[in-house]
Amino acid sequence: MAEPTRSTRSGPGIVLVAVYGLLALAATGRSVLQISEYFSRAPLAYLLSAVAAVIYVVATVALARGGRTSRRVALAAISVEMAGVLAVGLASYLAPSAFPDKTVWSHFGSGYGYVPLVLPVLGLLWLRRTGSATRGARARTPG
Amino acid sequence: MLFPLTVVVLVAAVLLMGLAGWYAASGRLVDDRLLLVAAVLELGLLVQLVVGLAHLRTVPGGGAEQATFVAYAVTLPFVPPAAVFLALKEKTRWAMGVVVVGAFAAAVMTARLQQIWNLRG
Repeated sequence: MAEPTRSTRSGPGIVLVAVYGLLALAATGRSVLQISEYFSRAPLAYLLSAVAAVIYVVATVALARGGRTSRRVALAAISVEMAGVLAVGLASYLAPSAFPDKTVWSHFGSGYGYVPLVLPVLGLLWLRRTGSATRGARARTPG
Repeated sequence: MLFPLTVVVLVAAVLLMGLAGWYAASGRLVDDRLLLVAAVLELGLLVQLVVGLAHLRTVPGGGAEQATFVAYAVTLPFVPPAAVFLALKEKTRWAMGVVVVGAFAAAVMTARLQQIWNLRG
């Protein structure tokens, strides 16, 4: 690629891609199971599970590709993820009856070792870091 | 899952994690030794898949438990190759981070598989 971007999948980024991929897998599996087996038990929670799964898949692919557009997509996906885990995490404590089953984001992702809570923070920091490397490289390039 | 098989898989996964951690600390990349341990893990997971599917009828619980069991058993053999593939392309010590993540995931999923298996009467 011609652009001087530090790829989002190099160095620490590759680990981020791996963890995102894993969560995408876990969230997709869980959500397919929940929706196909007992959707009526908690439609809202299970729909949110599906949304989470889609977001993880999008974030994984975007981080792995790491082009200029992918970076924007990743930023959007990870921002939604951050908002989602905070909102659903809070809601699962305030209105536990709406979340009879664990979803990836309920209780701030405690079922997954709080990885869902930490991951978007790392993701956003990583995007910022690689992004500022881009700006630095552009600033150093004359013309 | 058959207990000895689970032990083999878990030992291989833990070994792979340890080896990758050591490699990361000493700045090494994927080599034959690491691939060998990953291959042992992979072999264990494949045997686990075959044994699991063969005994599927004895897996207890409603459709949900069975579906989870099958999903885990089928997904597991994809984890080590995916981790190794990503790690091979990365030429810094972070490659080992991917191996650690993959091995850890394999261990957790195998433990979960064993849990469901143990629900059998």
